[in-house]
Amino acid sequence: MDMIVPLNSLKPGEKGMVVNILGGAGARQRLVAMGLTPGATIHVIESHPFGPIILSVSGTRFAIGRRLAGKVMVRKL
Amino acid sequence: MMKVVALAGNPNVGKTTIFNELTGMRQHVGNWPGVTVEKKEGILEYKGEKFLVVDLPGTYSLTAHSVDELVARDFLLKGSADVVVDVVDATALMRNLFLTMEIFEMGLKNTVIALNKIDLAEKRGIEIDARKMEAVLGVPVIPLNAKEGIGIKELKKKIYEVAHRKTRVEPIIPRYDPAIEREIEHISTVLKHTELAEKYSLRWLAIKLLMRDEEVIKLVLRYLGSEKLNEIMGHIGEVEERYKRAMDLMIASQKYEFVDSLMHRFMRYRFEQGETFSDQLDRILTHPVYGLLALFAVFYLMFKFIFAFGMPLQGMLDDAFSSFGQWLAPQIASETLRGLLVDGVIAGVGAVLSFFPLVFLLFLVMAFLEDVGYMARAAVVMERMMRKFGLPGKSLIPLVLAFGCNVPAVMGTRTLDEEKDRIVTMLINPLIPCSARLSVISFLAGAFFKENQALVAVSIYAVAILLALLMAWVFSRFLVGGETSPFIIELPEYLVPSWKTVIIHSWERSKEFVKKAGTIILAGSIAIWYLSNYPSVIGSGRSYAERIGMFFEPYVRLMGLDWKAAVSLLFGIIAKENVISTYGVLYGSREAIINAMVPLQAYVLGLVTTLYIPCIATIGAIKAEAGWKWAMFTVVYMIGLASVVGIITYHAALALGF
Ligand SMILES: Nc1nc2c(ncn2[C@@H]2O[C@H](COP(=O)(O)OP(=O)(O)OP(=O)(O)O)[C@@H](O)[C@H]2O)c(=O)[nH]1
Repeated sequence: MDMIVPLNSLKPGEKGMVVNILGGAGARQRLVAMGLTPGATIHVIESHPFGPIILSVSGTRFAIGRRLAGKVMVRKL
Repeated sequence: MMKVVALAGNPNVGKTTIFNELTGMRQHVGNWPGVTVEKKEGILEYKGEKFLVVDLPGTYSLTAHSVDELVARDFLLKGSADVVVDVVDATALMRNLFLTMEIFEMGLKNTVIALNKIDLAEKRGIEIDARKMEAVLGVPVIPLNAKEGIGIKELKKKIYEVAHRKTRVEPIIPRYDPAIEREIEHISTVLKHTELAEKYSLRWLAIKLLMRDEEVIKLVLRYLGSEKLNEIMGHIGEVEERYKRAMDLMIASQKYEFVDSLMHRFMRYRFEQGETFSDQLDRILTHPVYGLLALFAVFYLMFKFIFAFGMPLQGMLDDAFSSFGQWLAPQIASETLRGLLVDGVIAGVGAVLSFFPLVFLLFLVMAFLEDVGYMARAAVVMERMMRKFGLPGKSLIPLVLAFGCNVPAVMGTRTLDEEKDRIVTMLINPLIPCSARLSVISFLAGAFFKENQALVAVSIYAVAILLALLMAWVFSRFLVGGETSPFIIELPEYLVPSWKTVIIHSWERSKEFVKKAGTIILAGSIAIWYLSNYPSVIGSGRSYAERIGMFFEPYVRLMGLDWKAAVSLLFGIIAKENVISTYGVLYGSREAIINAMVPLQAYVLGLVTTLYIPCIATIGAIKAEAGWKWAMFTVVYMIGLASVVGIITYHAALALGF
């Protein structure tokens, strides 16, 4: 049942646990500092084509660009 | 020497609110040396002792990836603060304590935690035992509701105690798994024999080296030499190889695990919150279609409000100053002194102060929208569109402000995170027609194009906006270096704003505007007065102003304009609305202009007035925010752009038989 997918493929209402973050150190550390770190559970709230994805991580809401979201690998829950 | 208190914390945790509560109105806003990050300082008085309170930039972590973070980190690292108040948002403990751990790791032993927004936490069913939290973390914890001023007294008392070493502070230090701890141990041993050991926490240096922090690598290189450093870095690479993960990621996630393991010792959820009002509102306000409609509605109302209240005030101040000038004039015997005072100084001060209401209201509305939490949503909605032109969604805000006045708009670019975005937004900002240019455009459109008045005005706006977007694309692509900022933004819960914070904030900002722009506008109007009165008065054909105009005539002829246009444009640099009033002086009256130009010339003049050199106040603002280099660049590229557009428009129109 191990389904590891990029965050930007989750649909609204779906949840995922972060397993890894790809890409350069700059983007990675930015995500990490905001709480998107391996082990964190992400809940996708809104996702429209092209635009940023709205999600919540431990009670805080974020909007995150689609490209950046593509670097966050999650296990679908 | 005054003891220094630094406020650190994530963005939006209530740092500014606490800062205001601690310092009252005794504060000063400036810049951190060398960077465009705002620095706020104020004085706190407690038990007859004065403390200097410094508000550090709000950051999520202390890496070396942004100017904000570097500023905050260097300040803490240098030990510049006697007391560090770490402001923590009780509704997002996990993420906030991550920063707390980074501060602790630096080896500081003078931290106080201000646990803010406890009222909100309570509402959301989050229960925090501050005494237990204090015991677990090893530092004083003061629960606060800064908005209501609850807990501020206790915070002041604690600051005083820590400053005088009357409270023991033994912060807990995060631990990692054995493999990482071994590396930390190893690096620390190597560094122990260098001078670094006296200045920094070795553990902190080791952890930052493991994370490949550029600044720390440079620092260590200086003390250790490249050979030993390479050995260390090589070793780190091997460990990463073994775990198939970047080291900084491992450290960060273990730091979160550490925080998590601490947290449930002092915090629990009384109940889980379902969908909140904020969630429901976001469904509309961040929606690609409804969100955009909402955005237009909000900005429409914003301008309605600003102009409804600001314009009459501006008019009143304007009148007051000119009546004052008229009253004063006959009382001064010396003609030179009279001219200098009435036409130079009073007119100049009047021009600056009459802008004040507009600028203040602009900042007020912006601060209000920010405080309510709407600005983050506006950025999300715009991100989709602006990104195509190399701009982040957030840059919409300063660009919209520019329709009112470019000066606060340039200052508004501070809200952007990346240097690159700030510069690009600043460079194209003056292309957006401000309200002063609106007055020129509407006068010319009304006088020369009776039938198609609106169409003509709109076409000039359209050209300006399209050029702004085009230039944004060009600059972000070819001119200004730096990474495109990855887009991630926190969407804070919608809140009823604190009026005190909003008003103090806009007051400080607009005061700064008057100070910055004021001197320049004043100098400018004295220059105008001089150029148009010496060696003889303007209209005689022999004033300096007219001679300069005639000198430039061959150039403006390329666009079908004459020397009078050149003089008007010259004075328009002081303030754009001068373009028309100068014409008035040169022809004896505004109405006479109508017989002196053909519609095509008027159209070109309107276009060129919109696009050429930013007004002096805007140049001053760009200089203050980004330095002379960028200010001069803006002047040069805009002259070039205006010339090209003016010449092409004129000749194309002639060729088409207009
Ligand atoms: N309910 C509640 N709201 C608070 C409290 N403290 C601050 N706020 C609100 O939180 C929001 C952010 O406060 P600021 O003081 O602007 O936060 P900041 O940390 O300076 O934010 P930045 O300027 O973005 O770094 C504002 O809307 C405040 O009114 C509190 O104790 N309780």
